[in-house]
Amino acid sequence: MNFEALFLSFRLAAIVSLLLLAISLPLAAWLAFGRWRGRFLLEAIVALPLVLPPTVLGLYLLLAMGPRSPLGRLWQSAFGHGLAFTFEGLVLASLLYSLPFAVQPLVSSFRNVDPGLLAASSVLGASPLRTFRRVVLPLSFSGLVTAFVLSFAHTLGEFGVVLMVGGNLPGVTRTVSIAIYDSVQAFEYADAGRLALLLLLLSFGALAVVYAVNRRAWSPWSPR
Amino acid sequence: MTPSALTARVRKEYRSGRRTTFVLDVSLEIPPGFTILYGPSGAGKSTLLDCVAGLVQPDAGRISAGGLTLFDSAAGTNLPPQKRQLAYVFQSLALFPHLSVVDNVGYGIAHLDPAERSEQVRAILESFRIGSLGARKPDEISGGEKQRVALARSLVTSPRVLLLDEPLSALDDEVKSEIVEDLCAWNAARRLPILYVTHSREEVNALGERMIALDGGRVVGEGAPADVLGALASRKSAAKKRAPQISGGPVSA
Repeated sequence: MNFEALFLSFRLAAIVSLLLLAISLPLAAWLAFGRWRGRFLLEAIVALPLVLPPTVLGLYLLLAMGPRSPLGRLWQSAFGHGLAFTFEGLVLASLLYSLPFAVQPLVSSFRNVDPGLLAASSVLGASPLRTFRRVVLPLSFSGLVTAFVLSFAHTLGEFGVVLMVGGNLPGVTRTVSIAIYDSVQAFEYADAGRLALLLLLLSFGALAVVYAVNRRAWSPWSPR
Repeated sequence: MTPSALTARVRKEYRSGRRTTFVLDVSLEIPPGFTILYGPSGAGKSTLLDCVAGLVQPDAGRISAGGLTLFDSAAGTNLPPQKRQLAYVFQSLALFPHLSVVDNVGYGIAHLDPAERSEQVRAILESFRIGSLGARKPDEISGGEKQRVALARSLVTSPRVLLLDEPLSALDDEVKSEIVEDLCAWNAARRLPILYVTHSREEVNALGERMIALDGGRVVGEGAPADVLGALASRKSAAKKRAPQISGGPVSA
């Protein structure tokens, strides 16, 4: 089994899903509670990776990271190497690609919090930030788990964007899904099969966790 | 005007497209003690409370409580709910389901140091006879106990005014009168203005020192409960007598 690719994928997925959680909390709060009328435009932008072919997203990202782009030049001057075909580039691409998988569960669980509780919190003297921390976040536990697990699983399984932005460099950008593709190309079906089965089981496990949490089969707040 | 009174002059219009669907237009002064806000559903009672609490912004008017201006359209003042120092017990109670009774009650006094906070929480739980419930969550206590927790949570913040939106409507009479007794005992020394919303005549008769009747967004009666209810009843029967002539329909013997 290709442990190098497996380890790389897990490292990528862990970093991306943690970063995404940090980025998505304020973004989702703004989408859920903001009063700006043009909010739907931002919602559409966040959801774009759901419908765009990964190659399209990958192409634009590749151009944006290229040596002649502002981002590419900035990265070059800061770190001495380009962004495309690196692990960091892969992280950046995955952040965008998995963004809706983190933001949308959070938005829907924030919107599900009883508005009466938010009103009670503010009448009791809590600032909006304190209301968010003490009421909205704890009551959105299932949304937080869903956001983390889905963005982790989605990053673990991505193929098109990784291939476009990261290429296929062993130990740097060759993720599990690309390793599977390589094995199939080389007629090494046994290797491909083992990795594929592992991904299948992991994805099933992740979804089982998501559905269990959302059915409130378990949550830290329920006495049962 | 008594300095600790609540005064509210409020106008709020609700529109659906170009059509005005509801207008709340009232001017009232709530002195210390119980004042019942009575009226049918849709009279604007909850909207008025939401305006006072800062959850709904009036189109125009002025609201002040205990000498503090909460809202003044002319001066451009509009304090957010968290700055108004009011207590508001909602019909739904809105207890935080993930917090214990102690944490619910301590929520509004988080700025105090922990020892002071737990002492105040303990004292108010005792005075509302729920001292033994501290560690439980809201879904582990009875309806009457929930009402007491909601009251204690609001009152521990030393508010300027207490707003109660039909908080006891779901309870049986015995529990209801016990809670009202505790509330009156609590308020005897403090003399806060308490605005108590209800659409039940029984509650008016049980609680009333003073009442304001609201209908269609306007004040239609103000004074001692017996007088206001009497005036409303005679107006209603007069309207009934007039109704057949207005509609021109057949009058049956």
